[in-house]
Amino acid sequence: MKLSELALKINATLFPAAGERCPTVKGIHAADTMSSLIANASSDTLLVTSLNNNQLIRVAELMDAPGLCLVGGVQPSQELIARAREAGAAIMVSPWGLEETRRLLAACLVGKKQGRA
Amino acid sequence: MITMSYRISGGDFDTAGLATRGLKEHLARVGVGAAVMRRAMIASYEAEMNVVIHARTGTLWARLESGKLDLEVADEGPGIPDVDLALREGWSTASEKAREMGFGAGMGLPNIRRNSDLFDIETRVGRGTRIRSTILLAESEKDTAPADSACSRILAVSAEHCRRCLRCIFSCPTGALRVHATGPSVISALCIGCAACIGECTSGVYGIAEQGAFQPPAPGAVLVVPRGFLSGFPAGGPERVLAALGSLGFAEIRVLEEWAAAVRAEARAAAVAGNVPIPLIPPVCPAVAALVESRFPSLIPNLGPWLSPIEAAGEEFPMRSVFLLAACPAQYATIHGASLTERLTVLNPARLSSAVRGALSAPAGADRLGLRAPRGEPERSPGELAVTGVRQVMRVLASAETGSLPGVTMLDLSLCDNGCSGSPLLSADPPLSALRWQQWTSGRTTAPISDAAAVCRGKPWSQRPGVRLDPDMGAAILALGRIDELARTLPGRDCGACGAPSCALFAEDVVVGRADSAGCPFTEENR
Repeated sequence: MKLSELALKINATLFPAAGERCPTVKGIHAADTMSSLIANASSDTLLVTSLNNNQLIRVAELMDAPGLCLVGGVQPSQELIARAREAGAAIMVSPWGLEETRRLLAACLVGKKQGRA
Repeated sequence: MITMSYRISGGDFDTAGLATRGLKEHLARVGVGAAVMRRAMIASYEAEMNVVIHARTGTLWARLESGKLDLEVADEGPGIPDVDLALREGWSTASEKAREMGFGAGMGLPNIRRNSDLFDIETRVGRGTRIRSTILLAESEKDTAPADSACSRILAVSAEHCRRCLRCIFSCPTGALRVHATGPSVISALCIGCAACIGECTSGVYGIAEQGAFQPPAPGAVLVVPRGFLSGFPAGGPERVLAALGSLGFAEIRVLEEWAAAVRAEARAAAVAGNVPIPLIPPVCPAVAALVESRFPSLIPNLGPWLSPIEAAGEEFPMRSVFLLAACPAQYATIHGASLTERLTVLNPARLSSAVRGALSAPAGADRLGLRAPRGEPERSPGELAVTGVRQVMRVLASAETGSLPGVTMLDLSLCDNGCSGSPLLSADPPLSALRWQQWTSGRTTAPISDAAAVCRGKPWSQRPGVRLDPDMGAAILALGRIDELARTLPGRDCGACGAPSCALFAEDVVVGRADSAGCPFTEENR
């Protein structure tokens, strides 16, 4: 699914990467540690995290991740946005917390709403 | 040979990662493939961050020569007093500043080791540390993932106990085990963590790798266990076990079957709605899902898009500390592969059992520590087929693969007999354990009905790496031809004398270089 579609579905703000490309995302990985993020990153995995620092961009850049999703409505600094653009990674800002964002994105990716069984 | 070197400044989080970025550019220029690149980036970044977090300065060297990539990171830092401790997942001495940035989770060195084919660490307290990581290009280029599977790392093998009875190699559903003169070994890419070998071996060769001693939980912690754990103690029924767990500090106990029932209910609804491939296989047993991903890839679309019950249980209590008792290596691997956070702890059954045995004298409490009954399973429709046990599951999956299960809409499969509660890690005698549970529940007032929910997966199911003979179709076909040719010269007894479970797998071992053709004692030339 296109990153822009995902952002729309969960009411997130998207700061796209440089260029016209809107990457496709096949999976997500949510974590609040760098080790977990880098170990599970890939070129079609959106990284969801409650962290907010420049090292996130480094991880996305090294692992060719299509983007980072910050949570809790945290506004990224202009520097972070600029670095992400240079690194070719989009930044998404979700108004939801980490767990809720992960659940919502997962539900979007499997094409149905998650609900109580 | 190409050698590259980069300086690393300790304490500088702003430039941290630049050495690894430089390495990436060089490796890309010489045409290193995606699989090696991925592993190199993880190993190099983690090693670089170790220098930034702990040392004054350091250097990263990368040497690329035919067949391998050597990474070496040396620092001038405090050194590591206890390397074994430092290699344990979750152990860290990182500063508060580093932790705030998301480092210091104690996964750095384990991540490096996991992504290395060869790993070495040399350290002197007060002087510094030198980490060496080798990634074999030939092996890694063949696949897209680390050489070993998470399951095989969790399965502990005590070779010294092996009597070479060979029962284990015949019990393994994926043919991942070999028993040679040096003892048993696991072909890591094939291990799905099903615990069949643990149940089959009477010598105690197989078990769960040590995960550290049981630590008392934080206040308010929830424990999720298969109900077979609560009824698996001959010295005390579920009532006493619950009291013991309460005395160990758990505030609430829930049974894993609650989430298994939720996943089944979701699958049932999806199968009725008719918008899923039939027969639908709900991922109630993570080992079955892994088996499909490795041995029955044509059935991957049939796997339901939900997390396994143990993963869903971990999602249920976002604000509380949750302890999950894993009934098999596959459950361990599933949780370790998920978004592990500090609030989630996976417990080794042997460790928790030992703690419970020591606390069985605790006075029985009047309450049940929040225990809930799984939602009642509606009567199975004629289209639902429930199968447990390795051999039966293998048989039914083979039938599903050939399309010979007409009228079956849902396959409820579990590799342990009678589901997770039948795991050999939980009880020496699962039927007796089931009886104890039945007797206990039938004499009690009904517990509140569970509201556990199924959770959608974020990542799609996919074929497990390392299973194919060769990523290149032509090379794989050639290898297959050689295996076939060699297998025809073997006696076809499938006796296991060579250490492999069948002549066909022995032939494969010889062709891919895992065994020598002299290993079969019954061929003409070896007699």
